[in-house]
Amino acid sequence: MFWHNVKYSWKVLFHNRVLLFWTFLFPILLGTFFKMAFSDIEKKESLDIISVAVVRSSDYENNVVMKEALTQLSIEGENQLFDIIYSSEEEATQQLQDGDIEGYFKFVDDQVQIVVNQSGIDGTIMRFVIDEINGRKKIIESLVEQQIQDRIHEGNWDGIMEPIIEEVKNNVLQSKANIKDASSSNMSYTMIEYYTLIAMACLYSSMIAMFITNYKLANMKAVGKRIVVSPSHKISGLFGSFVASYLVGAIGLFLLFLYTIFVLKVDYGNRLWPVILIACIGLIAGQMLGLSVAALIKSNENTKTGVLVALSMFGSFLSGMMGITMKYVIDTNLPILNLVNPVAMITDGLYSLYYYESFSRYSFDLLSLILFSLLMIIVSFRGLRRQQYDSI
Amino acid sequence: MEKIVEVKNLTKEYKTLKAINDLSFEVKKGEILGLLGPNGSGKSTTINCLLSLLNFQHGSIKIWDKEMRPDAYDIKAKIGVIFQEVAVFEELNVYDNINYFCGLYITDKNLRQIYVEEAIDFVGLQDFKKFYPKQLSGGLLRRLNIACGIAHKPELIFFDEPTVAVDPQSRNSILDGIKRLREQGATIVYTTHYMEEVEILCDRIIILDKGRILAQGTCDQLKELTKIEEKITVEVSDFPQKLIDEIQTFSNVLQVRYENNHCVIIYKKGKNNLEEFIDYLKHHHIIYHKIFSERPTLNDVFLELTGKELRD
Repeated sequence: MFWHNVKYSWKVLFHNRVLLFWTFLFPILLGTFFKMAFSDIEKKESLDIISVAVVRSSDYENNVVMKEALTQLSIEGENQLFDIIYSSEEEATQQLQDGDIEGYFKFVDDQVQIVVNQSGIDGTIMRFVIDEINGRKKIIESLVEQQIQDRIHEGNWDGIMEPIIEEVKNNVLQSKANIKDASSSNMSYTMIEYYTLIAMACLYSSMIAMFITNYKLANMKAVGKRIVVSPSHKISGLFGSFVASYLVGAIGLFLLFLYTIFVLKVDYGNRLWPVILIACIGLIAGQMLGLSVAALIKSNENTKTGVLVALSMFGSFLSGMMGITMKYVIDTNLPILNLVNPVAMITDGLYSLYYYESFSRYSFDLLSLILFSLLMIIVSFRGLRRQQYDSI
Repeated sequence: MEKIVEVKNLTKEYKTLKAINDLSFEVKKGEILGLLGPNGSGKSTTINCLLSLLNFQHGSIKIWDKEMRPDAYDIKAKIGVIFQEVAVFEELNVYDNINYFCGLYITDKNLRQIYVEEAIDFVGLQDFKKFYPKQLSGGLLRRLNIACGIAHKPELIFFDEPTVAVDPQSRNSILDGIKRLREQGATIVYTTHYMEEVEILCDRIIILDKGRILAQGTCDQLKELTKIEEKITVEVSDFPQKLIDEIQTFSNVLQVRYENNHCVIIYKKGKNNLEEFIDYLKHHHIIYHKIFSERPTLNDVFLELTGKELRD
């Protein structure tokens, strides 16, 4: 009975052209669009070293992490991003007016102001770099704090600062490398777009799950009534359908990976298997979301589809698909949103694979996705196992 | 005769509306029981309660002497349902649709293949096995709907208005099929608002209105409930009022009405009413175009019981 359900759910899904379009073709088309839209920008970005000024001040001198990071990014070599001139604010303004520099950094308390003549890619990269360093800074600061706590707990005060400074230095160096990566062809805006694209593809598979689940619900479709009055166990039938819809979603994802790797030449780095693993778990989360929407929303299929498209697109938007800044805004100001946004979990997991040597953040994202999936099953369980209704 | 279905004091409420009100009836082995009533009378709700799709507030439902519950899989295995809406997958062809639904009951693949072929033959869809539902006409779609409900050879079959929006030819084919199912030993519960269908098909009829049973019995038993013996309709371009008034005074006439060039005389008794009425028309030199006599219908029974037409 289980395989009977798998087989026919598979057949039903593969005969629905609309679903196949959204599952297989749409992510590929979107990926192609990203490639066309951003590849030229990236090439330009990776070649230019930006002339900038840093306004010398006590706030600048006190901002150790930022100072060190900017210094590292201005050292000649393949990692060089900036050509930095240190000057007063008046001199910097004059240099900007004369066209000697593209912009300057001004430090006020903890904040870094960026002054440019006109908006453009150089200004965006300057903002990106500062955001990146700020993002790292928090991690470094928490690391420092943790190490101090650990040492105090151990009662060992000897040599506390040296390893911490070393750690900070390493992290700053690491940050520098990452920032460089982020503005070069290896790791780019487009990579974030591709990550959200994968995440979006996982979430779009929720529509497959919703579609096939609707067929099992007597209050949604006449076919559902026929299935419910049969002697087949509902949960077994649902599980069979889930397996089929997962396989269809997995094929869609597989095609997307093949297309982005071999046609669009996207480099997912040297951690392809963890990338695939998080995509597979993300696919489960997407499917569970579809299952929940099917079970909990008492409305027609179009409404449910609308809800899922809205959730997927909004989740992708919050994760940086339509503008990389949004990811930083959410990460910085409203990180709790990332705990309920599966797109953010997937994107962040992929992002962390690229940025960090350690798997801790990746594992956290993976765990979050599993918990999200479980939560979705729990909230929709009553609706899914229900066989009797007040009205049909 | 063995009781297959036993419903006692079934009551189903939607908030303040009683969709089924204290319904009690039985279905005996091998019979076709008709549930007749206008739209909204509670026919489909009754079927859905019997199938445990809908919950209900009071009463009990037993099928094969066992309480019917959502998890009564042993009972469900012997039931077939043909829903009012066509309940098939748009994405599967005729063969796959029947095979899928049959597979929910029959796990043996070889046996299922035989059953599916038999169901296809039964509804006459041999030439359409590879067709998808969208490619089928309304009548063929209804036949597919039936095949999906009966392929596993159920002993008890519920037909919920299977002929709605079906052309006359397909309707006859469906009704013939139901008769054949009964001949093969199935017990059938058939709901409709077409009185002609229950008259030619059902052994017993329950007339429902507003969730209540108005009357039940065989077709003849129900017709005996009405005061009407005969109804004569005459098509005539002019019928004087004084004659209408005179006919109304006849002791065997219940009612006379004249509208749209048709005069209808309803008799409560008498055996040669048509002959006598023709003589009466000749005597008064009334020229008529057509004249015909009818026995009372279930619609007349319904009209008399509720004061409204069955089709309202």
